[in-house]
Amino acid sequence: MALVARDLPQEDPLVRMQRDLKRALQKNPTDIKWGMVIDIAKCIGCHACTIGCVAENKLPPGVVYRVVLEEETGHYPQVRRRFVPRPCLHCQNPPCVKACPVTATWKTEQGTVVIDYNKCIGCRYCLVACPYAARTSDFGEWYTAETAELPGKLYGQKAAANGYEAHPATEYGNKWPDRGHGSPVGNARKCHFCLHRLKIGMLPACTTSCIGRATIFGDRTDPQSLVFEMIGSPRVFRLKEELGTLPSVYYLK
Amino acid sequence: MSDKWFKNLIIVAVIGLVVGAWGMFQRLTYGHMGMNYGSFVPWGLWVAFDLFFLGLTAGAFLITILTYVFRIKLLANLGPLAVFTVLVTLMAEFLIISLDLGHPLRTYRFLISPNIGSMLFWLVVFITAMWIIYVPWLYFLLREQLITWGNDATRTGHKVYRFLAFGKTDYTLEDRQQDHRRTRLLSFISLPIGIIFFGAHGAIFAILNNRPLWNSALLPLIFIMAALLSGGALITFLAYVYQPDEKLIHPLGHVVLLILLIFLFLEALQFFVGYQSKVTGIVTSLNLIAFGSYWWAFWIVHLVIGSAIPAYLLIRYPENSKMVATACFLIIVTFLAVRLNYLIPDMAVYKLEGLQNTFFHQRLRTEYVPNLNEWLVSIWVISLGLLAFLLGTRWLPVIQAGKGEEEHV
Repeated sequence: MALVARDLPQEDPLVRMQRDLKRALQKNPTDIKWGMVIDIAKCIGCHACTIGCVAENKLPPGVVYRVVLEEETGHYPQVRRRFVPRPCLHCQNPPCVKACPVTATWKTEQGTVVIDYNKCIGCRYCLVACPYAARTSDFGEWYTAETAELPGKLYGQKAAANGYEAHPATEYGNKWPDRGHGSPVGNARKCHFCLHRLKIGMLPACTTSCIGRATIFGDRTDPQSLVFEMIGSPRVFRLKEELGTLPSVYYLK
Repeated sequence: MSDKWFKNLIIVAVIGLVVGAWGMFQRLTYGHMGMNYGSFVPWGLWVAFDLFFLGLTAGAFLITILTYVFRIKLLANLGPLAVFTVLVTLMAEFLIISLDLGHPLRTYRFLISPNIGSMLFWLVVFITAMWIIYVPWLYFLLREQLITWGNDATRTGHKVYRFLAFGKTDYTLEDRQQDHRRTRLLSFISLPIGIIFFGAHGAIFAILNNRPLWNSALLPLIFIMAALLSGGALITFLAYVYQPDEKLIHPLGHVVLLILLIFLFLEALQFFVGYQSKVTGIVTSLNLIAFGSYWWAFWIVHLVIGSAIPAYLLIRYPENSKMVATACFLIIVTFLAVRLNYLIPDMAVYKLEGLQNTFFHQRLRTEYVPNLNEWLVSIWVISLGLLAFLLGTRWLPVIQAGKGEEEHV
């Protein structure tokens, strides 16, 4: 039987993205423009990216950076389920940045929309302004709120909390105070393309956890990168393009 | 106001403060954890109350402008009371919106890292401007009486009044003329500032192009009219309570009726244009208002009790002060429903298809009902405002300073 090209061993896109990332990090930081492409045809709706993100950033209850939208399309018997992962779209014309009254959120030179947790006053205007519902507010909730307290250091509410959620993740590469003692509680929170991982040459958690390799990440200005190649696909589109927000996250139909 | 009414209202305010203290305790101890708003409906009852207080500010503002800019002598007696009311409602507005912030102690950020492109920043600028205008304005209106009361050794607390008058014991004709000039100047400055201030509240919502129901040039105008309606009704009601003068109440009743009809026309226009546009987001939001689970808030509370009955009373009994005051009272107490209907429905529609099926958490739902804590905090703020108003009208010469204001304006 004759071999066709698709039967030949192929390089895992993650390996290529890792190589792309290494190359990007050698550039002048101001020349990098991070971007993401999500291939809807490849997404199987496993929610591994959501869980990967929650675990990486130790997100508390009610705070989520990357959800997977689920839609049913068609009519019986031609029915399909469609999954659309939705991180922060890191708009190049971000309405949330314009809304923030105290410049606590801004677009970096690399095109990532970030929040300074120590500046945010928690007015939630950015949540109202975001067309993609990509921002959530941290209301200070705990997974262990309902856990029974037990004496000792190994079991019970305090021990469980200390083992995980009492100590926030090092988002933006910063050490944040123990949960319940200030920011990010009371703040708006959102996906930041795992900047703390990028800084040390690691791809975002959603990208590495995607089992279908539906999430492609890299420098969208690098012609050799996979993300650049994907953005050139005729299948490409962006969410709510009519609003003029110019997201840095692209989708493939 | 009779002593009996004064005492009863003081008791109501104190009870409100005591009952609401539980909500305040929850808010100050556990932050926003005990509240029902979430990330998809980020603004709830407190923002609606903020808009409600804003409306009350607007009515008082209207009277100050009519009195001191347009020199309508008929309203002159109400001048100082109206200026004082502006300050009390601004205080309530500031308090409730501060409690709504995740980090209220960081409000200094407005000064050190402002975003001049944000409407919210400009709103804070105009709120501050209102304070800067109205505090000295009230002071200049009351100064003569403060000096008189400070000189009256038989009056309880005369030393406090002397202190408030900066130790001044005599008030010359020149002082009076100077104060008149100052109040006139402040009133002229307040006219554009106030209109922008009330319009800016609407603009905060209107500029968001991802919010189809709000994103309209009509909205700031609706907000201005809504503010004038609720505030005009408040001042008419207060005029009935403090200055039961038929000559004063009747024209105020006509003004309130006119604003009510304009407001209803604008509201009808919004519904007509919204439904005719056939934009899903707008139609869904309008359907939520008119036929959603809170249909009664729109049809019964707002349209019947807050609009039709007051309009009937104002048209049928324009010369009856009691009926005019009743109509105004109905408009005031039902106006929160109007504010909630402008605020919540747009946020109560999922902005992306499939969002409702993706991540289940009470903070990530569009169904919002204010919980007991939110109501208790609101009651606490209202009670504090009421107490400040009652004590202010008793301990400060805001009523006395109004007498003889005709020659002033």
